[in-house]
Amino acid sequence: MFEKNTSEQTAVSIRHLSKSFDGVEVLRDVDLEVREGDVVTILGSSGSGKSTLLRCINWLEQPDRGSIHIGGQRIGVNDAGRPMPVRELAKVRARTGMVFQSFNLWPHLNVLHNITEAPIHVLGKSKAEAEAHARELLEKVGMSPKADAYPNTLSGGQKQRVAIARALAMQPEVMLFDEPTSALDPELVGEVLAVIKDLSAEGYTMIVVTHEMAFSRAVSDKVVFLDKGLIIEQADPETFFTNPSTERVRKFLEREES
Amino acid sequence: MNASAWHMLLEGAWTTVWISGISIAIGVTAGLILALIRIARIPVVDQVLVLYISLARATPLVTLALFIFLSAPTFGINLDRNVAGILALTLNTTAFNAEIWRSAFRNFSREQREAAMANGMTPWVTFRRIMLPQMMITSLPGLINEMSFLIKGSPAIAVIGIVDLTRVTNRISAVTYEPLPPILVACVLYMAAIGCLVWLQRIAERRANRLAV
Repeated sequence: MFEKNTSEQTAVSIRHLSKSFDGVEVLRDVDLEVREGDVVTILGSSGSGKSTLLRCINWLEQPDRGSIHIGGQRIGVNDAGRPMPVRELAKVRARTGMVFQSFNLWPHLNVLHNITEAPIHVLGKSKAEAEAHARELLEKVGMSPKADAYPNTLSGGQKQRVAIARALAMQPEVMLFDEPTSALDPELVGEVLAVIKDLSAEGYTMIVVTHEMAFSRAVSDKVVFLDKGLIIEQADPETFFTNPSTERVRKFLEREES
Repeated sequence: MNASAWHMLLEGAWTTVWISGISIAIGVTAGLILALIRIARIPVVDQVLVLYISLARATPLVTLALFIFLSAPTFGINLDRNVAGILALTLNTTAFNAEIWRSAFRNFSREQREAAMANGMTPWVTFRRIMLPQMMITSLPGLINEMSFLIKGSPAIAVIGIVDLTRVTNRISAVTYEPLPPILVACVLYMAAIGCLVWLQRIAERRANRLAV
């Protein structure tokens, strides 16, 4: 896990994914492959469906059509083609880790217990084992001194770093980031992006929805551009940012630069 | 007031405390269970519960206590008056508590639930580990309010012959011809009981501050 994975194993496979909210199509026949160890960033203007796409991957949103496989296991629908029972769904979900725009820490638990809660009560780890792992992760995200603090005493950047540690504690096969820096004050964005960059260097498979262009260019193996629910461009970052094939992306990048 | 009057008063106070205490304990738990059943929206069961909750909230305690105590023999049940009293108080308070719990559940942060789901928690683990501990703190002001209503409404059970803290003052003054001293002491004891609850509420509020993210 800690070396850049060069295998061609598929971590996430999305096929023909469609989703509507109240008759408005937010995702239209989306196909996406994410290989193990890859960092994929999803760009697009707001309302383009990128958060919905991410939230479909761990079934926080249920797509209308299409399929999603995580490490070869289909999520949300069982072999008989029926909706998955909640326990089974929870097991597949646990193979992904998610970081939310608004952190979503549990305010009644201190930082350490936010991180150990799911490993103990979902994975069945012992308290000692979970805490030892949690302290390692806190070290990694630079939050060790705050292990005993409660979420309401932390800054946004600190909360998000704890949220990243919480997701990592489940040892997920793929990390999902839903605009992880959009709710942060500008001066706090850097500390969170730095942590995510470190994770990419360690070979984690990650799908990141973001507005941070420089970050996307620096960490991505693949950049995906969504427009009105369609993937209109999918390329390596060099091509995407210097020589996009569509007019829509060219305009988007111009606007971001100005 | 002589020693025996004091003795009677304390006995009356104890009756009020244990009958109310049991009713509160059952009522808080049963209220939570009813709230969860209502949230599950099971057909028929849901309508029955809605009917029960509106009936129980609309019936005066005295009437409810009398009804339970007097109707029991018709069903061939020989109901102890203390049991009938506890039943009346419990049926009443459970209905109010169910609504308090239900609103705490419905207002619970969607973001926090999503974080629990994303971490692989089943709905049951999410409820037990993430929601319930916070619902207990956010519901406590409402629940404690309801507890103090129950204690203040508990003299209603005297109507079926239970000698509680209020009823006993009558008995004492029937002997001493001085109604004021026992009733004053009773007031102080009621205030002490409510005071304990308010003190509990303060502690809960201090802990609730932490939940404000």
